[in-house]
Amino acid sequence: VTDPAHPAALDVAPFVRAWTRAVNGTCHVPMTRAEKSEFLRGLAERLAVALVAEPFDATAGYWVATDLVAADFDAPEALGRTIAVVNDRFLTDLGLAETDPHRSGQPNLRARLTDLVQAFATGFARARHDRTFDAQEEIRVAALTARFAAERELRASEARFRYAATHDALTQLPNRALFTQRLDELVAGPPPGARFGVCFIGLDGFQAVKNSLGPYVGDNVLTVVAERLRGFAAESGHLVARLGGDEFAVLVAETTCLDDAVKVADRVAALLDEPIRRGGLELPISARVGVVEQPATGTDTVDVLRAADMTLHWVKADGKARWMVFDPERNAREVARYRLSAAMPTALNRGEFTLAYQPLVNLGDGTLAGLEALARWRHPDHGLLGPEEFVGLAEDTGLIVPLGISLLEEACRQAAGWLAAPNSAPQPLPAAHPPYVSVNLAVRQLRNPGLVGEVAAVLDRTGLVPHRLQLEITESAVIDPATDGDPVSTLQALADLGIRIAIDDFGTGYSNLGYLPTLPIHGIKLARYFLAGTRGRAVAEPTADAFLANLVSLGHTLGLTVTAEGVETATHARRLRAAGCDVGQGWYFGRPELADRIANRVSGPWT
Amino acid sequence: MDRPEWAPEGIDMEQFSAARVYDYMLGGSHNFAVDREAARRGLAAMPDLAIQAQANRAFLHRAVRYLVEAGVRQFLDIGSGIPTRGNVHEVAQRAAPESRVLYVDIDPVAVAHSRQILIGNERATAIQADMRTPEAVLAHPDVRKLLNLDQPVAVLMLALLHAIPDEADPYGMVSRLGDALAPGSYLVVAQASHESRPDVWAQMVEMARHTPYPLSPRSRPEIERFFTGFTLVEPGVVWAPLWHPEHPDDVDDDPGRSSNLVGVGRKM
Repeated sequence: VTDPAHPAALDVAPFVRAWTRAVNGTCHVPMTRAEKSEFLRGLAERLAVALVAEPFDATAGYWVATDLVAADFDAPEALGRTIAVVNDRFLTDLGLAETDPHRSGQPNLRARLTDLVQAFATGFARARHDRTFDAQEEIRVAALTARFAAERELRASEARFRYAATHDALTQLPNRALFTQRLDELVAGPPPGARFGVCFIGLDGFQAVKNSLGPYVGDNVLTVVAERLRGFAAESGHLVARLGGDEFAVLVAETTCLDDAVKVADRVAALLDEPIRRGGLELPISARVGVVEQPATGTDTVDVLRAADMTLHWVKADGKARWMVFDPERNAREVARYRLSAAMPTALNRGEFTLAYQPLVNLGDGTLAGLEALARWRHPDHGLLGPEEFVGLAEDTGLIVPLGISLLEEACRQAAGWLAAPNSAPQPLPAAHPPYVSVNLAVRQLRNPGLVGEVAAVLDRTGLVPHRLQLEITESAVIDPATDGDPVSTLQALADLGIRIAIDDFGTGYSNLGYLPTLPIHGIKLARYFLAGTRGRAVAEPTADAFLANLVSLGHTLGLTVTAEGVETATHARRLRAAGCDVGQGWYFGRPELADRIANRVSGPWT
Repeated sequence: MDRPEWAPEGIDMEQFSAARVYDYMLGGSHNFAVDREAARRGLAAMPDLAIQAQANRAFLHRAVRYLVEAGVRQFLDIGSGIPTRGNVHEVAQRAAPESRVLYVDIDPVAVAHSRQILIGNERATAIQADMRTPEAVLAHPDVRKLLNLDQPVAVLMLALLHAIPDEADPYGMVSRLGDALAPGSYLVVAQASHESRPDVWAQMVEMARHTPYPLSPRSRPEIERFFTGFTLVEPGVVWAPLWHPEHPDDVDDDPGRSSNLVGVGRKM
């Protein structure tokens, strides 16, 4: 019989074996079987000691259960089976079952065990309860952490995305989008009196470098330029952006006057003037800067960007200046020109173009030799416009080709009508020859391969006899090497139709007299300054007269009719007669007049 | 708003997670209502699932102790889940403190929890990565920092491969992973098999078909194929309780109840 007074003598081994078997498989415990046995032995001994201790304290059961749960024996099954095996076997296995509860002086071990089991069950439930809450807290913290991490990552990727959307990939400089955004912010509700500047920077010579040395060197140059501009941005605090291609920009916030922006332009140009060397070559790159400086209030971002772009365009075209400041008047002119140019096709369709005629008078007898047709545009807003305001635009856009042929047709039809007009009858024609009509032919028209056919068709349709049509061309139209096609053959074909050809503004270009005898032409028109003698230094009148006489003589030598323009006075007319000139044209003989008015006057005399 | 393509995965707490369901099966409380609901559905269809989870965990411990005794000091646990109740690093570092353990899971919550537990442990960490791109796992900076791939590594894939259907080429993934390992490395696989309970598993597969976690239980030969390039250690691919049991009592009369076939292979 075991002596309960000496608990160390109690042998818990048989109970531990039964307990281990009972709880095995109820829960996952990360211990080897031997470790489990060892662990449970420790707990069993604490229970045994508590059972026989004096005074008896049941709380030992509570703490044993707490430790059991802490070691992961925490499944409900582990609790149930432990209670069962303790109740069934604990006293028996420890040899304490024989004690007689009724013997006085002996503790009631069965009752004590019941108390221990009750404390054990309480401790187990509480430990498991706490453990569950701890685990729940842990997993919620983990979920929050994971969510924060995911959101942080999302924000980081959004930040990367925003960065990529607002920066240039090659140079990492802010791009056009960010530049525009900053400009938008700057002009949205600025403080009163605030001004700002924008510099658009273009690289001169960049395309040539890129084309000859390849895109890699091109990128290299852009990177070097960007690096210098980044340095400038750091020292000045101004926003520097790459707009695309070889164009960069600086936003100069808070200027006080134009000079603040110009200083930036100067500094940037100087920075980019430092040579860029690649592979032993010094690359011929320099900067041009277009500057805009203005009040921030009432400013439209798009207008500012356009103005800066326009100014950069000007400075590049200028070729000499390093920077240029936006000029609103020049801009207005260019805008007006652009608007005019854009309106021309519609105007042509609407028949807004018409002709005025200026007399060409035989100097010998004052009779009418012909009439020069001069283009006019009856513009709905601007009134009657002269050729100097739109013919150049029409040549740029190519509209001159259809416009020219349309005006030619009108001129021929009207010229044919003059003769038939009944109100020309009262006075007899002053000359044996009826007047011809002289029409200007633009370079682009002469290059048009269909020209000869179209002119022939016009003559057919209008019934004008070919020799009453004179076409005026400029020297450059014939001798300019840039002129493609074969203008001389075209002229020959026109001449073969019987049309008169005259060189207009003779002597104004870089005249090549050598070509003159070979051309199929009938006349030359002397520019007005041969009469006025005022191009550059004044020329003594006798010299001017002699020069004029020789020019006329030159024309006559080649069998050409010589016409003089700019006849404004009787003296002019006299000098021309003295020089032997054939025909005169100018205010002295009559200003250009619209077709309906000229019809009354086709019979002269024109003195 | 649609989530843009460049945005990282968010955390969807409305969706159960395999890692947390598994924790519940093990008797853990690191789970949410949605996980417990999913676990109860699974247990209703197959009450032995809890046994499978425990058998799987017990095998993990035996396998890690086996590997430590075999001299392995580096562990790569892929699909490590909620790291409670005796993790690889606890088991391995108790037996050999210099052991290095890297946990990989696709579940960000499981990874966050692992990192909490591993705070202060310089030889163990957890990363979030997708096993379906083994190259990305191996190239992860933390993997490179913690593990020396020139030395043997034990790669553990427990209760993982049955989540990867054949169409996603799990064999290719395992073999690409195996190619990156030094000779003397080990591959440890435990995965569900239908062989002991074909009817129940047919039902389970059907049930899981339309969830984000479809199941692909495999036969013993199919599982043996994962060890191509490795030599299986004794006793080969067996039901989990039969692999190096500690005590005859740990093997019950019907080890197939675990539905869990396991094996350990060594790279030559």
